[in-house]
Amino acid sequence: MDAVYSIISAGVLSQVFVGLSRTTILFIVASGLTLILGVLRIPNVAHGSLYMIGAFTAFTVTKLSGGGSAGFWIALVIAPLIVALISLIAERGMFQFLYEREHLMLLLLTFAFSLVFGDLVKLVWGGEYKSVPVPHIFQGFVPLFGGLPFPLYNLFLLLAGPVVAILLYLLTNKTKMGKIARAAAVDREMVGAVGINVSRVFATVFVIGCYLAGLGGVLVAPTVSVTLGMDHNLIIEAFLIVIMGGLGNIWGALLGALIFGLTQSLGILIWPKFGIIFPYLAVVVVLLFRPTGLLKSTW
Amino acid sequence: MKKSVLLSMSLLLFVGLFMVCPLTYAQNTIKVGIVDTYTGPATTFTMDVLDGFKLAVNEINAKGGVLGKKIEYTTRDEKFKPDIGLAMAKELVLKEKVDILMGTINSATALAISDFAKKEKLPFFVTFSKSEKIIGEKGHPYIFNMNENTAMVGKAAAVALAKKPYIKYWIAGDDYEYGHAIANSLWNNLKKLKPQVQKAGESWWKVGEADFTPYITQILAAKPDFIIAATGGAGMVNFQKAAKATGLSQKIPFYQHTAIELSVLKPQGQNAPEGVFGTANYFFYYPDTPSNRAFVDEFKRAYNREPRIGALSGYMTARFIAAGYKKAGKIDTEGLIKALEGMSLDSPVGPMAIRGCDHQLELPMYFGVTTKNPKYDFLVAGDVQVIQAKDYMPTCDEVLRVRK
Amino acid sequence: MSRQTILGLGAGIIVLLLFPVFLPRFYVYLVSIILLYGLLATSLNLVLGYGGIFQFHHAVFYGVGAYGTTLMLTKTGLPPMLAFIVGPLASAAFGLVIGIICIRLSKLYFGMLQISLGSLVWAIVYRWYSFTGGDDGIHGIPIPEMLSSPKSAYYYTLIITLASLFVMWKIIRSPFGSALQGIRDNPVRSEMIGINVRMHQLLALVLAGFFAGVAGSLFVVVDNTVFPDMLFWTLSLEILIMCLLGGWFTFLGPMLGAAVIVALRTFVSAYTDYWALVLGIIMMLVILFLPNGILGYVEEKFKRGFMEPEIEGQ
Repeated sequence: MDAVYSIISAGVLSQVFVGLSRTTILFIVASGLTLILGVLRIPNVAHGSLYMIGAFTAFTVTKLSGGGSAGFWIALVIAPLIVALISLIAERGMFQFLYEREHLMLLLLTFAFSLVFGDLVKLVWGGEYKSVPVPHIFQGFVPLFGGLPFPLYNLFLLLAGPVVAILLYLLTNKTKMGKIARAAAVDREMVGAVGINVSRVFATVFVIGCYLAGLGGVLVAPTVSVTLGMDHNLIIEAFLIVIMGGLGNIWGALLGALIFGLTQSLGILIWPKFGIIFPYLAVVVVLLFRPTGLLKSTW
Repeated sequence: MKKSVLLSMSLLLFVGLFMVCPLTYAQNTIKVGIVDTYTGPATTFTMDVLDGFKLAVNEINAKGGVLGKKIEYTTRDEKFKPDIGLAMAKELVLKEKVDILMGTINSATALAISDFAKKEKLPFFVTFSKSEKIIGEKGHPYIFNMNENTAMVGKAAAVALAKKPYIKYWIAGDDYEYGHAIANSLWNNLKKLKPQVQKAGESWWKVGEADFTPYITQILAAKPDFIIAATGGAGMVNFQKAAKATGLSQKIPFYQHTAIELSVLKPQGQNAPEGVFGTANYFFYYPDTPSNRAFVDEFKRAYNREPRIGALSGYMTARFIAAGYKKAGKIDTEGLIKALEGMSLDSPVGPMAIRGCDHQLELPMYFGVTTKNPKYDFLVAGDVQVIQAKDYMPTCDEVLRVRK
Repeated sequence: MSRQTILGLGAGIIVLLLFPVFLPRFYVYLVSIILLYGLLATSLNLVLGYGGIFQFHHAVFYGVGAYGTTLMLTKTGLPPMLAFIVGPLASAAFGLVIGIICIRLSKLYFGMLQISLGSLVWAIVYRWYSFTGGDDGIHGIPIPEMLSSPKSAYYYTLIITLASLFVMWKIIRSPFGSALQGIRDNPVRSEMIGINVRMHQLLALVLAGFFAGVAGSLFVVVDNTVFPDMLFWTLSLEILIMCLLGGWFTFLGPMLGAAVIVALRTFVSAYTDYWALVLGIIMMLVILFLPNGILGYVEEKFKRGFMEPEIEGQ
């Protein structure tokens, strides 16, 4: 019955675009995760918590600046920086002493952080739903395909995604810091032997990765209810995307996010009741044929 | 050798520590143990249940308590996990020795605790879970349902929607028992009241879905007259935001249970979509009676915010517990149960009773539509219709027939 | 094992057997829960600590065992004791199937694939309302008379847990177990000396799945309910935490980790609703100062008193 709608190309195109706009947030969060996982070898379970803190901080910033549209743009700048600051404190305070440990212990540590952050958010912001309003220029929608509406804010996300991707690419491939980081991901001992302060490199990468998580949180805030528990919803998807794309590979994160977002949007057309299964199936398929991920991993 | 000995000794030490943990309550009180979720998106509702309960308890204790005894309570956060919730209920009963159990917003936990309460012969007051199994299939004499369940919601909404001109319906919602139960109950009752209605299609999304645009575009393509959106929790606001962003709220009217109440509308401020239909069991602004106003004022003075749904359930639970024991004349479970059956008390929204045959609280349901109101900086329910309990509750027969 | 070890263990077991005599009902229940979670964590450690396999979604086997037992008890008229065997067998079967699919991958990838597959299983249990009770779970499961009281449930749990632990211990000490640890430390070398790496790992996964299923059936006996949450990845993470916290290179470490987490959860929540915060902080302290987990640390301290510290595969 619902297969009928997939024949209507306007519907399919619309779904594709929706899938793409949803990809942006997934990509931004996953790219941060893959950076941290690829370079520092830390599976950062607290990534979801940082995303949540980004969203809640955006709420506070918009509220403090009067609730108008300017608030969102200020939040877009400030909130990820605050998240980055928190992560810097965590890194300098604890993580930097533990890089030699087993992956699993690091996973344990980030999990501990996620517990702490989760409760801290509750302590600071309380349990009520929060809402961040969509900035004025993005309110409303554009009748895109066959009159089907496409929210302007989603259009913004659609454009923001590639922008962040390009900026990240420039950062990792064209800057000195980026090149050192990529080298350190592959062989940290060598990088250290050449006289570079590996610890400082790691700190930078970690902070940037967490900044991206916070950025994702700010960007998602106008579209959802900002609540406790946001961290759990996202973290599993982010990890699956990172694995699909190849550890430490930013384009891999983009590819993974694309696959995830699109399979979910199109899956709904094919089999609405079980649309949720398609992204997971995609992960299974990818891993069966390309066990280390679609693109080159740094491990 | 040392390891195992050490382990055994540490085990003994653990045990010793546990036994030293003192009982924290004086003997001369009525102890209520509350298991609920105070973490995650559900917290916005459960806070009000607890605060409403606390408000009534303070009132009652100030007047001398119940039969000379004060009511004491303690909470446990199950974090929306049923196995933790059940373990905590067991701790409350077996270790803290509470007289009454109360809770929870998680239906699975409520069912598990209900089973335990039945075995322990302890009263369990359900304050926010909406599964119809609680009072229906899995019901028993020790359980009291202090809020509406999905069967009731569906019927109430059907009663209201049957009067409207819509024919072609699209059914959608969160893909879990709550969503399906509301949708099923609504649809079955609607078809009975208005046989001409047709189902144009269905779509179900995962609980906690953040991006509804793909579903909304699909629904728009089908062009139904009306959408039943059986969302819950955080999905309420998410769906409303998406409806506004895609213009759905201006094109096709839709209904959600609790769409019109404060937890959902207040965070969105003036940006919430107008024209959304919903049902809810409490508003602080309607009915605008002296008793409701008094309740609201008291709540505001204590907690610095207006009460929302959940506050009424918590408040009345305490009141019924106190009145029940008073009528029974002693702090005794069987006496309490007998006293409560059929008992009617005054509430902020008028008199309400606990039905004798199944222990379901008979509360009025309100059907309305989101509207802007110059008095508030958030939207409120307008065109409110009151649907009386007798018009939407299943009959005693229907309920008792499904009980084992 | 030295005579003193056996005496020590014997004393411990006697204490456990006597618990219901002098402990109030609640603690009997609590220890039952600790025992079964300890069993579950130990079954994970079979493949994680001793096999080096990143089993990230172990909860699936626990849940399958629990649901298998439950469905046998509620949907069929077959003798109840059969249910307690079928459940673990079902999870062993799942262990085999998922193992075969995932085994070609290693480390993190194995874990992630397992999470994807496990999530699919969870989604099916969660949605199949008519068969599995959906997100409501199944409650009031009928347990045979002789096991239904809290005391008898405790003894049943204790006996089954001790038996399972004994069997697992024997497995680890057997040539199979040594080969498994060899594979963990150096798969290439093991392959070269003729060990069939895949078969060993698969067998380990089946065994781990089986004992997880046993833990699941014990949960049904103790709590008479099942929920889809039992198959959710957050529980898998918790079981992992229990292993790591207690010490995943020791045999009894996971049991200790389970005891710590369950005890913390129960007793801290009596004082504050922020018990996740407390748990997080304690975990951080353990990680910082006790990198091999609590029991690992204890063992190290004692070893250093007598001999050179052994390098056990770390």
